[in-house]
Amino acid sequence: MDLYAALQAVINGVLTGALYALVGMGLALIFGVMRIVNFAHGAFMMLGMYATYVLFTHTNISPYLLFMVAGILLFALGYLIYFGLLRPIHGQSDFMQILLTLGIGLICTDGVLLIFGADYHQINIPLLGKNIHLGEHIVVNAPWVVSFVIAVAVALGLYLFVMRTMIGRAARAIAQNRYAAPLMGINVFRVQAISFAVGIAAAGIAGGLLLPVFYIYPQVGDQFTLKAFVMVVLGGMESIVGAALAGLVLGVVESLTSLYWGNEWALAVDFVIFLLVLSLKPSGIFGRQKA
Amino acid sequence: MSLLEIDHVSKRFGGLRAINNVAFAVEENEIAFIVGPNGAGKTTLFNLITGVFHPDEGNIRFQGQDITHISPNHAARLGIGRTFQIVKPLRNLTVLENVMLGAFLHTASPSKAADQAREILKYLQMEKAMHLPASGMPLPMLKRLEIARALATKPRLILLDEVVAGLSTTEALALAEILKRLPEWGVAAVGGVEHVMQVVMSIAQRVVVLDHGAQIAEGKPQEVVRMPAVIEAYLGTKYKELGL
Amino acid sequence: MKRSHMVAALVVFFVSILLPLVVETDYALQILFRIYLFAALGLAWNLVGGYAGQLSLGHAAYFGAGAYGLALFSGKLGMSPWLAAAMGVVVALACALLIGGVSFRLRGPYFVLATIAFAEVLRLVAKNLAGITGGDVGVQAPALFHGNVNRAFYWAAVVLTALSFAVTVAISRARFGYYLMAIREDEDTALSVGIGAARTKLAALLLSAALTALAGALYASLFLYIVPDQVLSIDVSNEIAIVAMLGGAGTVLGPIVGSVVLESASEIFKNVFKEAHLLIYGMLLVVVVLFLPEGIVGAITAFLRRRALFGGMKAKGVA
Repeated sequence: MDLYAALQAVINGVLTGALYALVGMGLALIFGVMRIVNFAHGAFMMLGMYATYVLFTHTNISPYLLFMVAGILLFALGYLIYFGLLRPIHGQSDFMQILLTLGIGLICTDGVLLIFGADYHQINIPLLGKNIHLGEHIVVNAPWVVSFVIAVAVALGLYLFVMRTMIGRAARAIAQNRYAAPLMGINVFRVQAISFAVGIAAAGIAGGLLLPVFYIYPQVGDQFTLKAFVMVVLGGMESIVGAALAGLVLGVVESLTSLYWGNEWALAVDFVIFLLVLSLKPSGIFGRQKA
Repeated sequence: MSLLEIDHVSKRFGGLRAINNVAFAVEENEIAFIVGPNGAGKTTLFNLITGVFHPDEGNIRFQGQDITHISPNHAARLGIGRTFQIVKPLRNLTVLENVMLGAFLHTASPSKAADQAREILKYLQMEKAMHLPASGMPLPMLKRLEIARALATKPRLILLDEVVAGLSTTEALALAEILKRLPEWGVAAVGGVEHVMQVVMSIAQRVVVLDHGAQIAEGKPQEVVRMPAVIEAYLGTKYKELGL
Repeated sequence: MKRSHMVAALVVFFVSILLPLVVETDYALQILFRIYLFAALGLAWNLVGGYAGQLSLGHAAYFGAGAYGLALFSGKLGMSPWLAAAMGVVVALACALLIGGVSFRLRGPYFVLATIAFAEVLRLVAKNLAGITGGDVGVQAPALFHGNVNRAFYWAAVVLTALSFAVTVAISRARFGYYLMAIREDEDTALSVGIGAARTKLAALLLSAALTALAGALYASLFLYIVPDQVLSIDVSNEIAIVAMLGGAGTVLGPIVGSVVLESASEIFKNVFKEAHLLIYGMLLVVVVLFLPEGIVGAITAFLRRRALFGGMKAKGVA
């Protein structure tokens, strides 16, 4: 067994995992504050990808700068969606919320399909060809490293947002006790809107960062929705840190699975782990609450 | 053999001792009340009896049978009915259908279940509301609905968690009159109350006082209200409510 | 069931059976097939999703089990097509036992996610175990009917819908139906009156899975060829759930109405937008959740009930 191949897989997994983590953290934030099971989460990541793609093809500015625009656009979209679609069903059953976000996701995905067509695209940036060599045996592709660094930075920013800012604290207060929070003077709707917007902006940014190293096509987000849920469950439903760690774990597990069993099984392994965790420890590997 | 035996039961949630070495018995056709301020452990005790949680220490026996580790639906089938502190009507069903659910425990026929349900609703003076959806009912009716549904399962013992909470004194006493007659039907009752003492004094044969999960008194209502430990637990305005 | 309703249902059934005498084009029969198939699928899903209130978004697992059961048991083991279809049902029941056993212990969104995950695992297994299932390339399915195929399959779909309808009606009037509704409304309350919630949910799921698998076998047999992304995909699961939700989950007529509306709209959309016909699903879902949470049938029933109540109040001089 080639130790270096395994190490390479682990490193690749960590690089991918950082992007996963960003997507998962966004979902954890949304679920924690709003108890909304956002089935459109991957679709929003896809929108971020397409936004960056369109801007890139028109302006030729590096995606590593454009991702910020994607983030802002998705933040705005999130705010609109919250007030337009989610707020009206505030307080209704999980059932209805799930179906609503599912519908939103379908509209996004098929809307993009209608506008851009089903073709797979890939962009070309100068950085794509450059590889970094770590020692004799490990090679990492430069764009992945840049994406990784930015993703970690954004993740850190997200963490600080939730932990240090007033809005972040308000969000956590709502997550802990949604009935007491308004009594503390918290404008629940506003905080929820911002949390939702931040959550999907994180997904959109991840999409923008993924663009240089991945294919772009309308359904690309679907697998990420499911993976995001796996992360959130693994990480303990509401914990942002948990989701982030789960993202890294997921990336590594997928990478090793691809190495030893082939690509096709990577997603299946995700689900098996997911089901195992749900059956055995629903509060997640890192979580504390009961399911 | 008593109908229900709580045998030195304790339950901890994390660091909190919700129930601490509680022991008492309830006889057949007896009406007992568990009295204690909010947080004293009444609902936890009911949850332990019906199997929603299981005790960390001690045993619970019903009709001599050990029920320490049963599941809630099994408890119901053994003859323990319950109402919930925060009423849980099945909102999209009618009042009659709600009660029929209880009756279905002993018959699979919807028409027989409906007949039994109608009888119980008559006893609780609710016939007029039979075909209305449960979602529109006011609280006193919902409280009666809870009881009706539980009674339809033909229990030997019914647990009434805060059954008069939120009712005016008149409504509470009216309900108490109905509850007083439960033993005639062969049903023993254990109620949990925080402070509506007039109800307790008028219908209870036995009172158990809980404070912070610990049992501080047990006996007939008139004896218990005079015990210093009980008076001490209920300082201030509650002192007056004890009717002294 | 009221005498008049029973008569109406029989009339609709006979009209449906006689329809091919008037409608003869293959295209029309195939659309009608699809409408009835999804009506049956919606009714089957309704047992779990509408009556028991458990939002399963993984029913493709049973659909695919029926489809692959038919294909593999006849193709690889040489069984006759109808026997293979029956085996497909058996496989679906086994899946339901496993999926239900795990998922029903979970509440709320965890349950939904688990159902999705199970269906996805099945899809990926079908894709990857190419030696057994043909993988992405797919596998052949035998014909269950010969001769005028479109008409035969249409009739089969009508019969399956009638069967699902009958099962739904029978359940809604029996104790089992009341128990399911109790579980939907409040599972803790249901437990407190002695309802074995886990067992009851599982029973509903088994019934639902069996009917769904039959529909899957029919579908596979009509197309004579299946691939994993066609019969095990989350799109199938979504379509089934949307049909029931649109028409009215928890009502007897809902899934039928939902299928008529959705499949017709989908067909119209397909002709206009070709590939993006899923857009209509998304839009209908959003509309249903925001404006019609009880579905079309539910909304109509509520409207009629309010009018009757109001009329009664007017008669008594209250309003």
